[in-house]
Amino acid sequence: MDGGAQGDLFDLVHDSVFVRGLDGAILSWNAASADLYGWPREAALGRNAHELLGAGHEQSVAELEARLLADGRWEGELARQAANGSVLVVEARWSLRRGPDGAPAAILESGRDITARRAAEAALRRSEYRYRNLFQAMAASFWELDFSPVGGMLRELRKAGVADFGVHLAANPELTREMMRQTRVIDVNEQSVALFGERADLLNASVEPFWPEASTAVFGASVAAAASRAPSYASETRLKRLDGSEFDALFTACFPPEAVGKGTLLIGVIDISERVQAQARLQRLQTEFAHAARVSMLGELTASIAHEVNQPLAAIATNGSAGLRWLARPEPDLDEVKALTGRIVADAQRAADIIARVRGMAMRHEPEMSSLDLNDVVVEALAFLRHELQGLGVETEAVLSASLPAVRADRTLLQQVLVNLLVNAAQAMGGMEGGRKIAVRTSHDARGVEVTVRDTGPGVAPEDRGRLFDSFFSTKASGMGMGLAICRSILETHGGAISAIDPPDAAGGACFVFNLPAAEDVAHTKV
Amino acid sequence: MSASEPLISIVEDDESLRLAVVGLVRSLGYRTLAYGSAEDFLAAEEARTSNCVVTDIQMPGISGIELKQKLVADGVAMPVIMVTARTEPAVHERAMASGAFCLLRKPFTADALIACLDRALAA
Repeated sequence: MDGGAQGDLFDLVHDSVFVRGLDGAILSWNAASADLYGWPREAALGRNAHELLGAGHEQSVAELEARLLADGRWEGELARQAANGSVLVVEARWSLRRGPDGAPAAILESGRDITARRAAEAALRRSEYRYRNLFQAMAASFWELDFSPVGGMLRELRKAGVADFGVHLAANPELTREMMRQTRVIDVNEQSVALFGERADLLNASVEPFWPEASTAVFGASVAAAASRAPSYASETRLKRLDGSEFDALFTACFPPEAVGKGTLLIGVIDISERVQAQARLQRLQTEFAHAARVSMLGELTASIAHEVNQPLAAIATNGSAGLRWLARPEPDLDEVKALTGRIVADAQRAADIIARVRGMAMRHEPEMSSLDLNDVVVEALAFLRHELQGLGVETEAVLSASLPAVRADRTLLQQVLVNLLVNAAQAMGGMEGGRKIAVRTSHDARGVEVTVRDTGPGVAPEDRGRLFDSFFSTKASGMGMGLAICRSILETHGGAISAIDPPDAAGGACFVFNLPAAEDVAHTKV
Repeated sequence: MSASEPLISIVEDDESLRLAVVGLVRSLGYRTLAYGSAEDFLAAEEARTSNCVVTDIQMPGISGIELKQKLVADGVAMPVIMVTARTEPAVHERAMASGAFCLLRKPFTADALIACLDRALAA
C-alpha cells in the first residue's frame, strides 16, 4: 500500500485529503483531515468514511457514488461530522482512482471547510431578507438610488477648486438638476408606488421628474450633506408625483459609508400634506380668532377711539375758525393764518394716524413677520389706549430698555397682546380708590426680549393662575375669556411665551411677562 | 392788544387743542394764558386775574369740574366754560351742578365758544 508515502505528500496540502476504498474504508488520511475532523490518522484509517463522518446531502451516498462511477468525478457540498460532534459544511471533490486493469479501485476526497463562509452567507441572506422586509413594510416611501455618477461630478467639482458644495449648488440650480438626471432609481417599495405612481415607471428612471423646480435647493443641500460626510439629511419640501401633482413631503436621506462606497443611497419620503394642511387650517383659525378678539376689543374701546379722533378734529375746526377771523380783519394777519394752517395740517395728520391704527387693528390679515423694535410696539399700544387709560384714571409708566434687539413678529398681533394686557390691568383696577398705575418695562437677556406689564390692582388669585390662559376662563363678569388665550396663542406662534408671575417685590398687583426670541436667534433656528 | 383787553385762561391737556383754542381766543382780540393741567392753572398767580377760564373736563389729575369747585371754595367767582368729549348725561349734569357757565361738547364750533365767551364777559 502506498498510503504512507502519499500521506507524506498530502500532509503538505492545506485541504483535507483522504482515500477510501470502494467499500468506504479509509485507506489514507492526511494531517489536514486530522485537523478538520478531529480524528487522528490512527483512529481514522480502516474506518468506514461515511459512518465516521456522515455524508449529509440531498442525495444518498449510493446515488452520489453512482454518479462518480459514471463521470469519474463528483463535487458538491456535504455536511460532515467532526469528532467533537460539530457539523461542518465541507466543499468536497471526489475523484475515482483506477487499478492497473482500469477498474475502479479507490476514491480520493479532498475537502475544504466552508462552514464559516456558509454561516456568513446565511446571515447576510437573513439580513438582506430583513432589510427587504423593512424596505417593503415601512409606512414610508423608500427609494434606493444609484448615485455613483453624481459622485463623479462631485470629484470633478472638487478638482476644479469648488470648496463648498452647498454654496456652489445653491448658486447653480441647473447643475443640481443635472445631478438629479444622473441619479437613477434602483428600487422602490410599495409605499412609493402608492405615493408616486406605477412601479415600472419609477424604476430605472432618473429622480428629476419627482422634484419641482422650487424644491431644487433641497436636493442640492442633500447632495452637499452627503459630500460633507454627514450621516443623514432631512428637510420638508414639495415633491411631484408621476401625474404631475405636487405634495408636501418630509424628505430624508441616509448616507451609511458602505452604501456611499457602493454609490447607492437610501432615501425616505413621508407624505405630510395632511399635517401641513391641518397646520394651515389651524393658522387660519388662529388668525380669525385673533381678529375677532381685536374687533370685540375695539367695540369696547369705541368711546375712547371716538374721543381720540374728535380731539384733533376739534383742534382743526377751532384753528380754521381762528384763521378765518384773522383773515377777516381790516388788515389780515397772514403770519397768524400761516401758523394756524400749519397746525391744521399737523392735526389732520394726527387724526389720520389714529384712524390708521384703528383700521390696522380692525382689519383681518395674515400674520406678516417683520423686524420690530418692541419698544415701538409698547409706545404705540400706550398711545392707542391713551384716552381709555386716562378716562379710567390710570397712570402709566414705561421703562424701555435702550439696547433692545429686534424681534421678528407681526406688528398688529403684538399690539393686540399689549393692548389686551393693558386693558385687563386697567379694568382690574376699576374698583379702586386712586393709586391706579400700570408699569410697562422692556428688557432683554440671552433668551431674547422680555416685556413686563404690572399693575397695582388686586392681583391674580393663586388658584386662578394655572387657568388664566385657558380659553373661556374669565374673572370678569362680562369677559369672554378669550383675551389671554389669544395672547398666548399669538406669542407661541412667534416662538415666545407668556405667564403671570409674582410681582418682583411684595407690593402686590398683577404682573404679566412675555418674551420673544431676538430676531438673529430666529434666523439661526431657521437655517 | 392792550392790558385792558379781557384775559382768558385756557386749561386743556391736549396740546394741539390747547393751541387751537388759544389761537381762536386771540383772534377775538383777547389776551390768553394757557395751562396743560388744572394743577398748573390753580398754582399760577396771574391766572387769578383771568376774566374767564375755558377748561377741558377730562384731564389727568384734577378735572375741570373739580377746578370749578376749588375756585368756588377759594371764593373766586370767574366764569368757567367747560369743554368735554364725553356724551354721558351724568357728566353733563355734574358739570352744570358744579356751576359751569356753559358746557361745550367736542368738537365744538368756534361760534358756540365765542357766544359763550361773549356772555361770560358781559356777565
